[in-house]
Amino acid sequence: MRKLLDFLVRKRHWFLFLLLEIIAVVLIYRNSAYQRSIIFSSGNVVTGHIAAVAGGVTSYLNLKQINRELLDRNGQLEMEVLRLRQEIAWMQADTAVFSGYVPDSTELFHYNFVMAQVVNNSITRIANYITIDKGRKDGILPDMGVVSQNGVVGVVSTVSDHFAVIISLLNPKFRLSCKVVGSAYFGSMVWDAGNIGYANLEELPRHVNFEKGDTIVTSGYSAIFPSGIVVGTVESHEKQHDDNFYSVRVKLATDFSSLTDVRVISNYKQDEQRNVENEAKRND
Amino acid sequence: MINTIIRSTVYFVVCVLLQVLIFNNIHFFRIATPFVFLYFIVKLPVGMSKSLVIFLSFLIGLVIDIFSNTPGMQAAACTVAGLARNPLIAFLAGKDLPEGVFPSFKTFTYGVYFRYVSSLVLIHHVVLFFIESMTLFDPLFLLMRMGASAGLTVLLILIAETFNLELQKSEE
Repeated sequence: MRKLLDFLVRKRHWFLFLLLEIIAVVLIYRNSAYQRSIIFSSGNVVTGHIAAVAGGVTSYLNLKQINRELLDRNGQLEMEVLRLRQEIAWMQADTAVFSGYVPDSTELFHYNFVMAQVVNNSITRIANYITIDKGRKDGILPDMGVVSQNGVVGVVSTVSDHFAVIISLLNPKFRLSCKVVGSAYFGSMVWDAGNIGYANLEELPRHVNFEKGDTIVTSGYSAIFPSGIVVGTVESHEKQHDDNFYSVRVKLATDFSSLTDVRVISNYKQDEQRNVENEAKRND
Repeated sequence: MINTIIRSTVYFVVCVLLQVLIFNNIHFFRIATPFVFLYFIVKLPVGMSKSLVIFLSFLIGLVIDIFSNTPGMQAAACTVAGLARNPLIAFLAGKDLPEGVFPSFKTFTYGVYFRYVSSLVLIHHVVLFFIESMTLFDPLFLLMRMGASAGLTVLLILIAETFNLELQKSEE
């Protein structure tokens, strides 16, 4: 008995080692994408504030590039406005009386957005996350979509009062329903943990026609993103094992290495759509 | 004793802040990320009890995890590194080191210190990258990332050791 006790005391560091490893493994496995505990992530108060200070400093570093991107975007939107004005002008010319169409803005487009700043961003891991400086108090809830000025960024996963953690598009846990612009067929976009500039659009039916350089946009089926948000452009494609689907290599529109400002999209009809879908599944 | 506690606390805070604010943002060629906070485990005094070394390694791993959104991964890898530390010192530097001395070029000699740091870093990196790539397995990419990160970490730790303010002060 004494020898056994002696042995246990002598080898106590092994027991401590095993205990700590078990804690670590539990943490690894318990933290699947949707049940991340807020204590152990960069969304909690202490780490959030430290990251916010650091993010505030580093956000100056990319200002030049972001400015250029914004100018580009501004130019595109101006062209869009001109095009729409012209269209309205034609329509007005066609119809005898045009009293002006004033839609109920909430009914037509049930998406809204909140601007947020990126305070922490990882791109080299296999599963990447982004922390932003807006949280529950700013109306951010889990499952909201996040976009930058160039394209899709990710989906909100955990929210604390003042911070939120986003599952980045550079995370194999995140699958995004996308389509080639101009066609109705959709596939699912997933990142393969390689180059941060590219992702794969899988399960796209083989009879869809597209060419290199075609734009890939969100399909809007998930109720997280409105349809038509740019995700990237087609780079190349190959057949999948089962031969009925394409796997398309997509060059992502968002540059994740210089992300500073993002918009969080809220959809006030998301709950309704999800409930009705769940009900349909239950009745099945 | 008190001195050791204060010194370790300072090392802990400095290592965590450096790692979180600077080195976590370095992605050399988008492959290598240095994990310089291992310097904390490297610099714990010789002769510290094994349990304490393991516990402190776990703690710094957990803190780094919390900051970089990788719950458990660094903690698991650092605990293994902490377990390997004392046997490594005994094996590489011999058992006749005075109690409470801090590993450095001077106390360990250059060759031994280099071997000590690189084996500790290698153990940590192997565990870390295996845990990280459990879901996706691409052996070549994994080895490349592992090797590049380990090399960069060792290099930066040796640089940190060369310019360590504490040592320069003690030489004066």
